[in-house]
Amino acid sequence: MIKKKVAIINYGLGNLVSIENALRYLKINNKIISNPKDLKNFSHLILPGVGSFSTGMKNITKFGWDEEIKKFYSNRKLILGICLGMQMLFSDSNEFGLSNGLGLIQGKCRMFSEETKNKIVIPHVGFNQVVFPETVISSGIDKNSSFYFIHSYRIKKVEPNVRYGYTTYGEKFISFVEKNNVFGTQFHPEKSHTAGLKLLKNFVNINKC
Amino acid sequence: MLNKRIIFALLYRDGSFFLSRNFNLQKVGNVNWLNENFGFNKTCNFIDELIFLIVKKNPSKDDWVSFFNDISKVRKNIFVPITIGGGIRNLLKAKECFLNGADKILLNTSIHQDNLIYDITNKFGDSAVTVMVDYKKINDKSRKIMIESGQKEILSLDKFINTKKKLPCAEIVMNSIDKDGTGMDFDMDVLKLIPDDFKKPILLMGGAGKPEHILNCLKNKDVSGIITANLFNFLGNGLEIARKHSIDHGLKLARFKEISL
Repeated sequence: MIKKKVAIINYGLGNLVSIENALRYLKINNKIISNPKDLKNFSHLILPGVGSFSTGMKNITKFGWDEEIKKFYSNRKLILGICLGMQMLFSDSNEFGLSNGLGLIQGKCRMFSEETKNKIVIPHVGFNQVVFPETVISSGIDKNSSFYFIHSYRIKKVEPNVRYGYTTYGEKFISFVEKNNVFGTQFHPEKSHTAGLKLLKNFVNINKC
Repeated sequence: MLNKRIIFALLYRDGSFFLSRNFNLQKVGNVNWLNENFGFNKTCNFIDELIFLIVKKNPSKDDWVSFFNDISKVRKNIFVPITIGGGIRNLLKAKECFLNGADKILLNTSIHQDNLIYDITNKFGDSAVTVMVDYKKINDKSRKIMIESGQKEILSLDKFINTKKKLPCAEIVMNSIDKDGTGMDFDMDVLKLIPDDFKKPILLMGGAGKPEHILNCLKNKDVSGIITANLFNFLGNGLEIARKHSIDHGLKLARFKEISL
């Protein structure tokens, strides 16, 4: 078995240094990687997310990340998608036009509904609670903890037989998902004080499924 | 439900942090001073977000380098969302801010002068930009927006708000120049100028002097959060006290507990 090492995927968008910084603080071996072929040297990967779904997926496919991430998945190695990175694990999104995601989990990413938007302001920005299913990723985290969210699109329904957690903002939406060796958080653990750090540490502590 | 936010802003120029009063700046100390005198890392356990603003007209390339350097020193041991702003006038600079740890970038003057906000949000998403409006009070019912560090008047606040309802951004900050650094409470009346169909999160800045100000401001249903840059009133254990005060009075704020890692 290869030594634990986390790849932070650089697909040309967003704030990678925060995740790197959090892993460094946790003394977890990690590297920001820009070449999909390098993924084979890693046990875990984090798919970060800032930006729009369509730009994100365009970059993911342009640089050939999609195939390598899918291979990583079928090799039962551990994947964590954060924010847009979680959304891209799903089937598709209609942010700036309909585009396909990685499709590791079946589900659609859409804007908060019109009905919901009458009750809230968009985007959903700030700290909110997550109701986790039974999962090792939330072990040791107080259930009243809050995590940092910033998004306008969300996953509302997920395929049966996957574990998910939810958050309420005008409506209930899916803020955490877990399917075999792939995990997703709509919130930013790297921006969520010690509760978020604990979650990252739990993720890295999971062994090959 | 979503919690309200207490946000701290650090004003930076030439290697030091500054206090601001009605937009007049007073130097207080550098990064080491911040950590040694205020235990800034600990302070960050009681805030929801941190903003870094460079408060210098037309910052040079070297100014940005030292700004980013000092930001990296401050953010090394803190895990909160970070916004960087001041003087961002092109896409390249915005990108540099993201590469240097910004989750959001803050735009002010550029909002009124060009289409930069659209270039940035097309690439990085609407959630990546915070819009800040600096304004002065004319009378009870009107406010005027100032740009270029509060030097130049451009248009009335209500006209701006009514024409910018669709502006792509994560939130809008209403920063009162009259209240800035006074500790004399927030300008709550500004909220009356914002129409009901303005559907962006609103943050108020300027005037936080004591815990009651923060509590009362955040109790307002139209306010998503407050920003204070008042180093002396709220560093040390000031923010801890303000946060506890608000929670004790029933306000919904995130509770950040220390967890053993």
